[in-house]
Amino acid sequence: MEGLFIINGSEKKLSFDSGDILLNVLRANGFTEVKSGCHEGQCGSCVILLNEELVNSCQVFAAAAVGKDIVTIKGIGDIHSPHPMQEAFVETGAVQCGFCIPGVVLAAYYLLKNNPDPDDEEICRALDGNLCRCTGYVKIHEAVKLAAKRMAENV
Amino acid sequence: MNDIQWYFPKTLEEVQPHLKRDGVKLHGGGTWILRGSMRGIKGLVDLGKLELHSFRKDSQTVEMGAGMTYAETIRSMTTINPDHILVKALQHAASTPLRNIITLGGTIFSFPVWSDLMGPLIALDADVVLMGERSEAYSITEYVKSSALRKESLITHVRFKNIGWNAYYYREVKTSFDYPAFTITILLKKNKNLIEDTRIVVVGCAGKFSRVKKIEDYLKGKTTDSLEIDGIAQTHELKFTKKRSLEPAYLEHCAGVQIERSISELTRG
Repeated sequence: MEGLFIINGSEKKLSFDSGDILLNVLRANGFTEVKSGCHEGQCGSCVILLNEELVNSCQVFAAAAVGKDIVTIKGIGDIHSPHPMQEAFVETGAVQCGFCIPGVVLAAYYLLKNNPDPDDEEICRALDGNLCRCTGYVKIHEAVKLAAKRMAENV
Repeated sequence: MNDIQWYFPKTLEEVQPHLKRDGVKLHGGGTWILRGSMRGIKGLVDLGKLELHSFRKDSQTVEMGAGMTYAETIRSMTTINPDHILVKALQHAASTPLRNIITLGGTIFSFPVWSDLMGPLIALDADVVLMGERSEAYSITEYVKSSALRKESLITHVRFKNIGWNAYYYREVKTSFDYPAFTITILLKKNKNLIEDTRIVVVGCAGKFSRVKKIEDYLKGKTTDSLEIDGIAQTHELKFTKKRSLEPAYLEHCAGVQIERSISELTRG
């Protein structure tokens, strides 16, 4: 099959098999920032924004995502122009091995888009689909709060 | 992997011919299909372009499109009542990204035993509206018990009476993101301290779910200060089968304790 996807704002025509999951199609086409973890929707390392909703790309058929708008971690900012959320993760030391971080940052970005001033419980709930085996989540929470503060100041 | 033919109908009429085709399945969120074996699947009918996301409410009824995700359901039901049983149950279901994928229709069709949706819908006495071989509305309990109803049909809507229940939801888990071993849904309608009506549903027990009728009957018509809750769970024989290293007797004991605690909490104050 072939399909046109809008990935990080650019149209991409990709080929894939009819039973392929979106995660594998993205990675096979260079979007390796989308990490491959459990393939069961449990770990959250593969999350992306699909039509502005946070989803596990391992739980989405590529065929069902044709024509849709996809945002990966590289779509919200890069090393030259990082998003405040990405900066906050670096500054608070919320990144250790880094494998889960693309998913965690996107989940946090999605949270602040819908709720600019979350409390601790809301942060916990928003990150309930992202497992991090290094940090213990304390620094991650600090990063989300720091990003929320800075984004509110810049409005 | 076998080659799968995808279909993208834009109207319900375009879905109709696919319902009877051998090896062709309906694709809502897709998580249930991905959990199972893809062997034997010849075609998938993507329901994403259909108008199955409608949400309607009036003073009598709430009606939701079967394509609504858990997240959409939480957002919509919160506008009616942030303490609604569906909000309480679904906000702990799966995870944030999965709640953006899993649909009402897909869960009702597949009825996984760890479901956080089915207990509340059974307790609400919901109806499912079908299209296909039997285009009518059926009670959800009739639907889940009848393989004939599930065959060759598409759930288009779910609806239930818009009643202001006091609601309690419990999920038996080791960690918050675990699949629940069982769930307990309790709805209670009080007039001052008189219990006018109640519904208690356990999902995950033997037979997938059980309406705890004996306890419901005991509670109905009583005042909250006259209840004798200790030991009430023993009046209803709730059976479990062994699951994931949990013995039936242990699960039966846990469910009993939680039912009593839940009733106690709901009837207090």
